[in-house]
Amino acid sequence: MPGPHDHAKSWLTRIAALPRTGKVRILNVCGGHERTITHSGMRTALPDDIELIPGPGCPVCICPEEDIYDAIQLALNEDVMLVAFGDMLRVPVNVPKREPRSLEQAKAAGAGIQPIATPAAAAAIARAHPDRQVVFFAAGFETTMAPVAAMLAEGVPDNLSVLLSGRLTWPAVAMLLDSGEAAFDALVAPGHVATVMGADEWQFVPQQHGLPCAVAGFTPASLLAAFHSILGQLHRRQPALDNCYPESVTAGGNSLAKSVLARVMRVTDAKWRGIGMIPASGFTLQPAYSAHDARRRFISKTTAANNPAKEARKRIGEMPPGCDCAAVVLGKISPTQCALYGRACTPRDPVGPCMVSDEGACRIWWANGMRADATGRKPDIDAARA
Amino acid sequence: MCLAIPMQIRTIDGYIAIAYAKGIEREISLYLLQDRALAPGDFVLVHVGYAIQKVSTADAEASWNLYDEMQMLR
Repeated sequence: MPGPHDHAKSWLTRIAALPRTGKVRILNVCGGHERTITHSGMRTALPDDIELIPGPGCPVCICPEEDIYDAIQLALNEDVMLVAFGDMLRVPVNVPKREPRSLEQAKAAGAGIQPIATPAAAAAIARAHPDRQVVFFAAGFETTMAPVAAMLAEGVPDNLSVLLSGRLTWPAVAMLLDSGEAAFDALVAPGHVATVMGADEWQFVPQQHGLPCAVAGFTPASLLAAFHSILGQLHRRQPALDNCYPESVTAGGNSLAKSVLARVMRVTDAKWRGIGMIPASGFTLQPAYSAHDARRRFISKTTAANNPAKEARKRIGEMPPGCDCAAVVLGKISPTQCALYGRACTPRDPVGPCMVSDEGACRIWWANGMRADATGRKPDIDAARA
Repeated sequence: MCLAIPMQIRTIDGYIAIAYAKGIEREISLYLLQDRALAPGDFVLVHVGYAIQKVSTADAEASWNLYDEMQMLR
């Protein structure tokens, strides 16, 4: 039996040898998975009846438009230094043309904004500038929220606050499955989210919805092992949760990281850009850490009452006009089906967040040479959903 | 954004370690692995500067080779 380090080719051979069960749509919920799939050309190497769909796997793409707008306003109007992961800087919000529409444009307009690569840098910058207010705009899924929680748990100076925009991955999948509109037959669960939170979080997929599920790592072989497992589950009609990334993922995950997360943050209902509210899908700071909540420290001062422009803003919380990122994120259309893809929207001049982030499906597809045909449709991946 | 890169620990000082990957040395935090016995030479998966899991040498090298090919170690 091949292990996770066997060559991808041996898994392709094994997959090809499986009895076919008809069209199978497999959703992934991780930009890293989508990158490996697209970069390796896996879609063309697999049998035609296997369709690989990128889903809600990009925290930058679903980060609420309101949160980015608040971050921009905070950086422009308050005497603060705002730090954020670099991916967040180019995400556009919906504002009139004359106003800065991204953190990058706000920085060009003179706002104090700095990209960082680790939460530790936010604390270090605050320590180095004790006379300034430093705000860490922190978006990300569980894998990223655990380090943010660790940074706060270790102790940070008073002049650091966090504009938290963290999200949990599994509730978005649960929402899709509960909606009855899920356009997939099986799920590949994200390997590094599961490294922290444990594979067992995904038991609801086979147990409550009867769909096959496998946790995968980020090598082509690990992903193909997961597809092989899923196809086998479908053939045997025995949906289950399989762990195809055992070198990193355990059933319960990193229990210490989970306890640090729970100590610093609690789970709350949260908005996803272009999608709306998803129950129990976001993180907010626990009361013990609320002194470091940037929303309490700054944002509440600029609410509707004293900032009418904020509420008069058009398309609050939505994707930009004409942008299909919301449908792309939900796996309902492929990137090439968006009318803007490769035309008005490219990585150099992105319209929607999926073309901005390295984790966004549109950016990944474009970077790997996937081009829309004249009709804007790519037949091999879209036919089943047309 | 959830991608974690394997790095090899060079030195450890409290929760802070100096770790190495493919010619790059970085300061990383071991705070989320404080209940694990770690020593210089060990490989850990690092995400946004924090180690989230200990991994084997073979797993680390397989990932390095892949990420190299995909030019994700920049």
